Amino acid sequence: MSLLEDISSAVLRGKRKEVKALVPQALEEGFEPQQILNEGLIKPMGIIGDQFSAGEVFVPEMLVAARAMSTGTDILKPHLVEEGAEPLGKACIGTVKGDMHDIGKNLVRMMIEGKGLEVEDLGVDVAPEQFVEYVKANPDCHLVCMSALLTTTMPEMANTVKAIEEAGLRDQVKIMIGGAPVTPAYAEEIGADSYTDDAGQAANAAAELAASFKA
Amino acid sequence: MLTKKQNLLECIRGGNPDRIVNQWEAFSRVIANPVCDRTLDADGRMVDEWGVWFQVAGQPGRMPMHDMEHRVIKDFDEWQDYLTTIPKGCWDNAAIWEPLQAQAEAIDKNEQFVMATVFPGMFERLHDLGEITDTLMALYDSPDEVHEIMKIITEVELEQAEAICKYLKPDALLHHDDWGTAKSTFMKPEMFEEFFLDGYKQVYKYYKDHGVEVLIHHSDTYGATLVPYMIEMGVDIWQGCLLRPNELNKLVDQYGGQISFMGGIDSDAIDKPDWTPESVKAGVYDAMDYMGMADRRKFYIPCLTQGLNISTFPGVLEEVSKCISEYEEEHK
Repeated sequence: MSLLEDISSAVLRGKRKEVKALVPQALEEGFEPQQILNEGLIKPMGIIGDQFSAGEVFVPEMLVAARAMSTGTDILKPHLVEEGAEPLGKACIGTVKGDMHDIGKNLVRMMIEGKGLEVEDLGVDVAPEQFVEYVKANPDCHLVCMSALLTTTMPEMANTVKAIEEAGLRDQVKIMIGGAPVTPAYAEEIGADSYTDDAGQAANAAAELAASFKA
Repeated sequence: MLTKKQNLLECIRGGNPDRIVNQWEAFSRVIANPVCDRTLDADGRMVDEWGVWFQVAGQPGRMPMHDMEHRVIKDFDEWQDYLTTIPKGCWDNAAIWEPLQAQAEAIDKNEQFVMATVFPGMFERLHDLGEITDTLMALYDSPDEVHEIMKIITEVELEQAEAICKYLKPDALLHHDDWGTAKSTFMKPEMFEEFFLDGYKQVYKYYKDHGVEVLIHHSDTYGATLVPYMIEMGVDIWQGCLLRPNELNKLVDQYGGQISFMGGIDSDAIDKPDWTPESVKAGVYDAMDYMGMADRRKFYIPCLTQGLNISTFPGVLEEVSKCISEYEEEHK
């Protein structure tokens, strides 16, 4: 098994200590940072996202894999900067106003990071104006991700879409929504760009939407 | 005509129910945690008997506050340093149970079960204390520590169970613990078995040995793969079960006789601010058709998936009951 496969395997098994040892070893052996990132870290997150969507792995496995990946990207970051590599894109994510649920939002954040995007976590109970403020202050942010777990807080998604439109920022960003009571029809109704069923699919959609800005 | 209580027992025991059991009709609930001080502070927050802070105002239920300032267990490996408020030795106190006793005594026991209500459940307690993301990772990182914490949670649950049975004498128990999402369980079944099965077996056995005839476990999630564990724990009714994610009709066919199912009418889809009698009827009839309720009377109780006999928006619960009755009438 090659070193990059070893790193990938360690991520899949959620072994951050192995990742911590193997990534510097790969750098020492002359692998390009971008190659380590793509093949050692991002690739296994794609695999685990698909396995999650298929019901083959569960939330804890996703979480420890994402954390192992994050250990690797932290080591690679200075090398990637040196190399002039740019992240795939920048996103912000939050659970909408009045809603304190964070597990789904955290999972989606980790999985989107696993696709190579930079993600700002705005937290839970995030008001429309907080999303707007962040997007305005970060012209390179092209993706807004919102989560709601309650029927009572879902309307805040519509309010946020409206607030982004009213701030004249709608063309800057694509908007993704998700959460237990949310449906594709609701996404369409409020003018969001994407609804996905789970964190693995959300990461794939985020990568596609981010790529559309690079095209 | 059977009483509501008799009809439910016929339904879950595979006897001869003379009508569909309609939602919670056979149960009268008593919320059973007088130890916890439910007084809200000026910001609408409260702290429970374990030292967990909750935001209550503006939330449909109590939402644990898990910023580092408020989180109880900040590091599972050092849990003893953080888990310093353990509510043991405080449950057997007649004075605090008095108002609840009066509630329980007022229930017509021929018609309805006296249903004590316990929430959060033991998994929920664990992640109330340690925040859910860190808790789920701790199942991998710190399994021994999680086992030690679960032992304490089980001991406290048993003390609470003792007091509930002593003072309220319930013949039904509704125990809340969400074990997954709408798509899957939070963890693989073997992991659930490793950390949670034994504690639940102990607690549910205690209730069964002390007068609880019908044990209801609430989890408004996917959970089909956990049904064998529910049966092993002694659960009589899984309440909150989601319809299509669990393929509930197949589950009833497969496990009916060992456990019954109560739910299937999706609160997330129906219990909305803009609900109408038509939207509720559509949701109820969809579930009733899916379950084959023109012919089915045993082992399934049509019910909103919400974990109490309430709805978030006024009138929805009652409208659902009305639609269930109308459906039954139309399919006689």
